[in-house]
Amino acid sequence: MSSTTTQPDTSYLLRKLHSFTGLLPVGAFLAEHFWSNSSALVSRAKYDATSQELQTIPFRLIVEWGGIFLPMLFHGGYGIYIWLRGKSNVSAYPWVGNWLYVTQRYTGLIAFAYIGWHLYTERWLTHGTSTYESVAMDMQNPWYLTFFVVGVLASSFHLGVGIWNFLCKWGLAATVRAQQAAGQFGALVGVAFSVVGILIILSFRFDWHPFSAYLPPTK
Amino acid sequence: MAETKQVIVSVKRQAGPKEGARWEEFSLRWRPSMNVIICLRDIAENPVTRGGQKTTPISYDSNCLEEICGSCAMLINGRARMACSALVDQLEQPIRIAPMSKFPLVRDLAVDRQFMFESLKRVKAWIPIDGTYNLGEGPRVSPEIQEKGYPLSNCISCGNCLEVCPQVNEHNQFVGAAIISQVRLFNMHPTGAMNKSERLAALMGPGGIQECANAQNCVHACPKGIPLTESIAEVNRDAWKQALLGWLAG
Amino acid sequence: MRQPKIIVVGGGLAGLMTTIRVAEAGIPVDLFSIVPVKRSHSVCAQGGINAAKNQKGEGDTVDKHFDDTIYGGDFLANQPLVKRMCEAAPGIIDLLDRMGVMFNRTPEGLLDYRRFGGTLYHRTAFAGATTGQQLLYALDEQVRRHESEGKVKKFEGATFLSAVIDKGGVCRGICAMDLRSMEVKTYAADALVFATGGNGAIFGRSTNSVVCTGSSQAALFQQGVDYANGEFIQVHPTAIPGEDKLRLMSESARGEGGRVWVPRSPADKRAPRSIPEAQRFYFLEEWYPKYGNLVPRDIATRAIHRIVYQEKLGIDGQPAVYLDVTHIPRETLDRKLEGILEIYEKFCGVDPRVEPMKVFPAMHYTMGGIWVNAEDQATNVPGIYAAGECEYQYHGANRLGANSLVSCIFGGGIAGPAAVKYAKNLEKGAESTPSAVFDAERKRQEEKNQKLISQDGSENPITLWRELGDVMTEHVTVTRINKNLEMADAKIRVLQERSKKINLSDRAKWSNQTLNFARELENMMVLARVITLGALARNESRGAHYKPDFPERDDANWLKTTRAKWVNNDIQLTYEPVDISLIKPRPRRYDAAK
Repeated sequence: MSSTTTQPDTSYLLRKLHSFTGLLPVGAFLAEHFWSNSSALVSRAKYDATSQELQTIPFRLIVEWGGIFLPMLFHGGYGIYIWLRGKSNVSAYPWVGNWLYVTQRYTGLIAFAYIGWHLYTERWLTHGTSTYESVAMDMQNPWYLTFFVVGVLASSFHLGVGIWNFLCKWGLAATVRAQQAAGQFGALVGVAFSVVGILIILSFRFDWHPFSAYLPPTK
Repeated sequence: MAETKQVIVSVKRQAGPKEGARWEEFSLRWRPSMNVIICLRDIAENPVTRGGQKTTPISYDSNCLEEICGSCAMLINGRARMACSALVDQLEQPIRIAPMSKFPLVRDLAVDRQFMFESLKRVKAWIPIDGTYNLGEGPRVSPEIQEKGYPLSNCISCGNCLEVCPQVNEHNQFVGAAIISQVRLFNMHPTGAMNKSERLAALMGPGGIQECANAQNCVHACPKGIPLTESIAEVNRDAWKQALLGWLAG
Repeated sequence: MRQPKIIVVGGGLAGLMTTIRVAEAGIPVDLFSIVPVKRSHSVCAQGGINAAKNQKGEGDTVDKHFDDTIYGGDFLANQPLVKRMCEAAPGIIDLLDRMGVMFNRTPEGLLDYRRFGGTLYHRTAFAGATTGQQLLYALDEQVRRHESEGKVKKFEGATFLSAVIDKGGVCRGICAMDLRSMEVKTYAADALVFATGGNGAIFGRSTNSVVCTGSSQAALFQQGVDYANGEFIQVHPTAIPGEDKLRLMSESARGEGGRVWVPRSPADKRAPRSIPEAQRFYFLEEWYPKYGNLVPRDIATRAIHRIVYQEKLGIDGQPAVYLDVTHIPRETLDRKLEGILEIYEKFCGVDPRVEPMKVFPAMHYTMGGIWVNAEDQATNVPGIYAAGECEYQYHGANRLGANSLVSCIFGGGIAGPAAVKYAKNLEKGAESTPSAVFDAERKRQEEKNQKLISQDGSENPITLWRELGDVMTEHVTVTRINKNLEMADAKIRVLQERSKKINLSDRAKWSNQTLNFARELENMMVLARVITLGALARNESRGAHYKPDFPERDDANWLKTTRAKWVNNDIQLTYEPVDISLIKPRPRRYDAAK
C-alpha cells in the first residue's frame, strides 16, 4: 500500500455500490412495483390500465435493463459473493444483529430467486403484456401462490433490514440511539411492504378489490 | 462437613499449529471467586485428567488478570471472553475452554494475534509527533472530544471483536472493529487528524471497512464496552465522503 | 563508520521510552518483551502522573514536588537525580499530551489535575482511571510508528535469559529464548537497557502482572550487576484477594465511610451480615481512635497483618479482613464508588453493596532494584543500563502515589541517549567480539534448559512458587522481625534445594510455558533472598520497611543504600552513602504537618 494514496480500491467501490444499489434503484423499484400493483386493490381495469401504462413508457428497454435488471443482477450476484466470504456464527452468538445478518442472506437469496422467476413468468413469457386475468389465473395454483407469499415476505424483510444496514453502514445513523431509530424505521418499512404485498396477492387470488368504492359509480 | 465441591473443566488441547486437537477433562477443587485462570493454574500444578491420566500443563496467554492487558481472551463455553473475569460460579459445567478460532494457533489456548498489531501499523494508529524533545504543550482538546475519545482509547486489542465477527475468517483480511475504532480515535485528535485521509484510505483498501456487514456482534463481545458500532458508522461516513470528494474534486 | 546497535529488554513505559529515544537518535534498536508490548504491566497503573505544573494556581513548584518525593521516600533516595526528574516532569506531561493521551480536560481544553496521596497540591494528570494504560498506549503507538519505518525491531514473545559479557567484563549482547520455538539465541549489541519492571511474583500473589517476576534482574544480578535497596517494597493496604491475583481496591472506599473489621472470634463462621455489632472487631477504630479507618496506608497495612498473622483473626482463617460499605446508602455508593465496586463485583461475583468486601494488603511496587549510577542509569557493568521499576533510583524507601509513571518515562528518557552515547564511543563494538563468547553463553543456557526438561523429579514449580510466595508474604512484606526473616531465608534455601528436583511434566520443545516458569522461579528465589537478607540486616524502620523491634528511623547507622553483590555464587551486602546534598533529612510523620 502506498502511504500517500487517498483513494479506495475496487473492493471498496463494489461493496459501496452493492449497498447503494440495494436502495437505489432496487429498493425504489420494489416500492414503485408494489405501488403500481396496488391498483389491483381498486379494480381489474385499474390494474390493466396501470400495466398498460408501464408497458408503454418511452425508452422502455433501456429503463428496464439499466434501471432494474442489471442493478438487480449485480446486487444479487455480488450479494452472494459477500455471503460466501462471511461465516455465520449465530448458534454461538445468538444476538439480534447476528440473526438479522444471517436472515438477510437467506431472504436475499429467496428474493433474488423469486424476483428472477417472477420476471421470467410475468415479463418474459407474457412479453411484458401481463394482465389482471393472467396473474389471477396463476394465483389459483397453490404452489404459485405460496411462492408469491414467501417471495413477497422475503423481499420486504430484505428491504427493511437493508435500509437499516444502509443507514448504519453509510454512517447516516451512527449513535446507538440513531441506529435504534434506523432499525425501527427499517422494521416499519419491512412490515408495510409485507402487508401491502400480501393484500395485492389476496386481491388476485380472491378477486378482491377493497378500494373499489373509490371508483365513480357505474351506470 | 460439606463434601468438597468439584469444578469440571474440559479443555481443547493441541500441541502445535499442525497437530491434531483433542479434549481433556479435569476435575478441580472448587473455591470461592474461582475464575478460569485459577482453573488453568490448578491444572498446571497437577496435570492429571479426570480419568487419572497424566498430561501436560496447558499453554495459554495471560498477564494482568484484571481485564486490561488483553492477553487471556479465549472461548469459554463457546463464547469469546477474557479468562480472568470468567467466574466459575457463573458458568455452566463442564466448562468448555477452547482457543480463539480466528487467529493462528500456537499451542493449546495460546494464539497469535499479531494480525491486529500489523493492522494498527497499516492504518497509522498513532499521532505524528515531530520528536520527544521539548516542544511545549499539546493542542487544546475540548472535554467533549476527550469524553468521546477516552472510551475508544480503552481498547486492549484482545481480539474478541474479531473472533465474534462473521466477516472475519479465512476468506478475507477484514481488519475488524477494534482497528476501525482506533482510526476514529486518531482522526478525532487535532494532530492525529493530519493523517486522517491516509488512515481512511487504508481502511478503503483490501480487508477494509467495507467488509463490515453490520452483524454488530463486536459491540456485544467487547469487554471494555467500547461503542464499536458507532465508531464503524462514523468512520464509514468519513470514508465515503473522502472517496466521493476525492473523485469529484481530485 | 561503525553502526552501533542497542537492545532494550522490556516493553513497558520505561522500555518504550528508551526505544523511542534510541530510534530518534537514528540507532537501530531491538526491543525484547515477553508479552506483546501493548500488554505490559504499565497498563495496570490507575491513578495518574505527577508534574508540578501549578495548573490550579496553588503555588505548586518543582521544588515542592521534589521535597514531597524525597520526604515520602524517607530520605533514602539520592537527591540530585530525583530533582532532575521533578524538573522534567512538566515536559513529560507535555510530551504525552502531544502524543495524544486522552487526559481529562478542563472546560478550557487544558489538562485537568487531581490531588493524590502525599501532597497538598493538584499535581496529578490523569486519564480516567486508566492512566497507565493510556500512557503505555501512547508510547506503544510511537514505537509502532518507528517500527513501521524500520528503526525498531520487536522480539515479542521472547524472554531474556542472560547477558553476554566478554572476558573484559563488558556487555556485548543478550541471550534470549523464543517462547514458542523455545529456541535459545544470542543477539549482539553494543549496549543494553533493561526495563523489566517489578518483582511482585516473588511474593506469590500481588497487584503485579504475571510477567513481573524480577527474573531478568535476578539473572543480571548473578552475572555481576549489583542490586540496590532490595528490601524496599510497597504494600497497598486494601486489595481484593484472589487466588490468581490481588486486585487493587481504592482507598476511596474507606474515604467514603467504609469500615474495616473481622469477627472477634476466629471460630465465627457466620455470614458477615448476621454477625452482631458487638461481636465484630473494628480493629482500626479501636486501635487508632483518632484516625479510625483512615489511618495512613502503612499503618492500615500493618494493622491488618497483625490481625491475620499475630492475632490469627483473619476471616475463616484466611488472610482477609472485611471492608464494609453495606451501611452506606446504596445511592451514595452508586454515585461515589460505582466504578470500584463494579470491579469487586466482576471479579468476586459478590455485590459489595450487600455483602462486606474481603480485602487484604498486597505487594504492589518494587522500590529497590538494579543499581544504577546517579547520572545516566548505567549499572556497574559497562554497556548495561536500567530504567523504570526494575532499578532503584527514584523512590527511596517508599514511593509516592503517581510518581511511578513519571519515573519510568524519565528514566527511559535518560537511559536511551546514554546507551547511544556509550555505544557510539566504544572503540570496538560487539561486532568484534569473538563468536566463541556468544556461543559459550548460548550453550550454558541451552544446557540449563536441557537439564530441566530431562530431569525426573518430584517437585512442581507452581507448588514451589506458592510456598515461596507464602513465606515472603508472611515474613518479608509489612512487619519484619529478625528471627522470622532468618526463618524465611532458611525456607527459601530449602526451596532452592527442592527446585533442583523440579519435574516439568511437559517435555515439549514448543511453547513450553512450564520450562520458562521453572527458569524464572529459580531466579525469583535468588532475588527473594536479596530482599530478605537486606531486610534482615537493616535494623531500623524507614518508609515501607518496618521492624517493631527497631521502630525508629536510624539515620546515624542506616541512612545508606543497600547494594547487594553476587560474590562467589552468594549474596554479599555492601552499603554506600545516600546523596542528601539538597534536602536535609527530617523526621517523617503522618500525624502532623511536615
